[in-house]
Amino acid sequence: MRYDATLNVNGRAYPVAIEPGRNLLSVLRSEVGLTGAKEGCDDSECGACMVLLDGQPVNSCSYLALQADGREIVTIEGLAGADGELHPLQQAFLDQGGVQCGFCTPGMLISAKALLDRNPSPDEDEIRLALSGNLCRCTGYSGIVRAVQAVAEQR
Amino acid sequence: MATAEKPFIRQDGKDKVTGLGRYTADLDMTGMLQAKFRYSDHAHARITRIDTSKARALPGVFAVITHEDVPDVRYGPFVQDRRLFAKHKVRYEGELVAAVAALTDEIAQRAVELIEVDYEPLEIVSDVEAALQPGAPLLHEDWASYGASEDVVREGNDCSRSTILKGDPEKGMAEADIVVKERYVADMSHAVPIEPHAVVAQWQGDRVTIWSSTQVPFIARSGVATTLELPEAHVRIVVPHLGGGFGGKCEFHYEAQVAALARVAQRPVRLVFSRREEFLAPDHRREGQVLELETGVRRDGSIVARRGRLILDNGAYSADAPFFPQLAAMMAAGPYKIENVFVDASLAYTNTTPSGSVRAPTAPQACWALEQHMDSVAGQLGMDPVEFRRRNIVKNGDEGPTRQVFEDIGAAETLERAVELIGYGKELPEDEAIGVAVGWWPSFGIASGAYVKINGDGSATIITGAQECGTGAVMALPLLAAEILGMEPESFSLLYQDTDAGPFDSGASGSQTTFNNGRAVMAAANDVREQLLDLAAEQLEANRDDLELKDGAVSVKGSPTKSVTIPELAEAAHGSTLLLGRGADAVPEMPASDAAGCTGRLGMESFLAPTFITHAVRCKVDRETGVVRVLEVAAVHESGRVLNPIGANGQVEGGVVMGIGMATLEGSLLGEDARQLNPHLLDYKLQTASDSPPIHIGWVDSPTKPGAGGPKGSKGIGEPPCVPTPGAIANAIAQITGARVHELPMTPARVWEAMQR
Repeated sequence: MRYDATLNVNGRAYPVAIEPGRNLLSVLRSEVGLTGAKEGCDDSECGACMVLLDGQPVNSCSYLALQADGREIVTIEGLAGADGELHPLQQAFLDQGGVQCGFCTPGMLISAKALLDRNPSPDEDEIRLALSGNLCRCTGYSGIVRAVQAVAEQR
Repeated sequence: MATAEKPFIRQDGKDKVTGLGRYTADLDMTGMLQAKFRYSDHAHARITRIDTSKARALPGVFAVITHEDVPDVRYGPFVQDRRLFAKHKVRYEGELVAAVAALTDEIAQRAVELIEVDYEPLEIVSDVEAALQPGAPLLHEDWASYGASEDVVREGNDCSRSTILKGDPEKGMAEADIVVKERYVADMSHAVPIEPHAVVAQWQGDRVTIWSSTQVPFIARSGVATTLELPEAHVRIVVPHLGGGFGGKCEFHYEAQVAALARVAQRPVRLVFSRREEFLAPDHRREGQVLELETGVRRDGSIVARRGRLILDNGAYSADAPFFPQLAAMMAAGPYKIENVFVDASLAYTNTTPSGSVRAPTAPQACWALEQHMDSVAGQLGMDPVEFRRRNIVKNGDEGPTRQVFEDIGAAETLERAVELIGYGKELPEDEAIGVAVGWWPSFGIASGAYVKINGDGSATIITGAQECGTGAVMALPLLAAEILGMEPESFSLLYQDTDAGPFDSGASGSQTTFNNGRAVMAAANDVREQLLDLAAEQLEANRDDLELKDGAVSVKGSPTKSVTIPELAEAAHGSTLLLGRGADAVPEMPASDAAGCTGRLGMESFLAPTFITHAVRCKVDRETGVVRVLEVAAVHESGRVLNPIGANGQVEGGVVMGIGMATLEGSLLGEDARQLNPHLLDYKLQTASDSPPIHIGWVDSPTKPGAGGPKGSKGIGEPPCVPTPGAIANAIAQITGARVHELPMTPARVWEAMQR
């Protein structure tokens, strides 16, 4: 049995018909067609699937798609400006060596954006704590933390 | 010294920060089916029946295949001991018995469960020492009939044995004032890239294109060609963005099984691993080790003899691990001056996930044991552990464990700089201490090729067989070509990780991309540079020897107005002979050694362009709980000449944090049925951002002689950073608690238990 729902993703409304057991990540990746959010573990441990739901970061692998009906979702594809200009966090990740393989990057950027949206000038410990739900195996987190610090200092 | 003076922004970066870049699991195709594997139900059993009829009858199932549906070929890089699907026996829990392709993941999973397999369970061998006991059940009864490289020394469950002998260890030990003997045990751990394995295969006629999350596309192609009995020209491997590897995606994994499914189904097929599968199935976990080390010293702190007995866990099949015993033996001898050495290392078959290269294979575990042992010996001598290392570490002109004479190395300098950076000797609170460990690692010289072409508008394209796994090594190749051609790195596009496009390269493994492919790209750039100069000499009607190429133009020396730009030359070339450079530079020769007394020689008897490393860590231990916190790390490396500081620092930062994880948390637990008990990230914890300490990095600049190393005297950089971290942490723990932890990982329970002894 499928149910009709509307997912508002990055400012665009997507009418979808989905089974109640489907998680938000799989609907975003299949029906909506945005593959930026990744599946790294399917049990809310790695954070690669993170998206903003009404401004709050959630692991979309462990969130039922129907629960997001009518709510505002932002994925990594929604961070850059409409003209393609990178979000300051995206640029800072590149400048500071915060990107290596890039698989954790979408979730990491979503967590970083959620942090700066609620706390524009976090200290290093606050940054590390806010990012501790996102696993990175490449960078040792140094470049990522530097990137968030650099953007926080500009604000 | 650095090629990259300005900030280096990776070409694939925008793709990655915007989420638009495609990884293998992101690919979709019309009519694409989903693959699932049926794994073994036992760690060790004889298969008596496989019945796939119910699975085949399920609506939505397009293909069900077993060993009967693929050529009966055994494969393996050193020992050919495995098949694509189990035939007579299963030997570990992650072994493939069958595969299914169906319309959806759910149907494929149901079909897999409908496959009936009957087994006759066999005695399980999961302990490496028990595996080598006389009378232990053999995992491979027919081992002697398997094809194998002739240098692999095998006997029953010992799949590869190597020894290193130097001098007279018996006599040396007898002459020692103090002899210290210890035993260490390291558990198996995993690479854990954040992207799980994924493969997509599509046939067009009798040719197959396979998109795969492999670190080694050419090795994967060779594996597909061998096991499906196809010419390599009929197999194309393309790697979309690769979400990390760390060795876990080296070797040939599931490309052939997915291709076989796609051929039967006559549809494209996609396989995407779950995290659980990522722990259980790939034949590249980091192997467990048992190490017995014995060192004899004189009262002045000089080492007179070292003996070691190592047993490494091969798991059920041989991936690339047969060269590990020789490598681990070198690691156990260490970068120290010792006249008398004997190390005997075995690789034992057990009913567990196969081992393979994971970032600096064998080294973090062996270094963890050896560097603790070094501190123990220093303790027996009553000598400061740094001073003890200072007296024994190799310097230029010294001989290694196989009498390789070291030249142009900076091992001692890494020790001095690291202890200075961390403030060794400073006053610390009672529950804190500084631990130090020294390590080393070889560079791997392997054939590799590249092309550089100048496009019609004067921009350029590098076509390389090299594979980018995230390190940025491929991304940095334009820096090398740009310098030779007097161009900007941004003027180069890159075509990479496609076996039909680039020349051979051994992939993102062995820290070899810059080392080998960097030389190839420089050779290709030099080739096209010659062509540019020839053409410019014609155009400017000047003597070729009077020309210089810089800032995007060729001009006559001393007459800067007589000049022609690269775009002008490119346009002219497109009217006649195109500007195409090819590069495949000669591999550096292995340094001389005396390995006459060594057995099981598999290329590790000397170390090409060895890297030397010292890590010093400041740690804190909670005496109530045994929890270890790493507060600060100083990591000093001698990697010849560093070409791209941002990239190199990123490798050290990532490697150090991986090493902290290995030291304190990461290890697989095995049940009595030889199944992993923690194959998911809830119970196999990685370091997070809030666990990770500040890391102070130092580089000792010590370029190799021309031809003896990588581009500009560089050495491999990717693997060394995870080598000495666990040992340094162990030494800090022992200093704080007075107790030595002999098991890796040094979990809070183990630290606490050691304190109670």
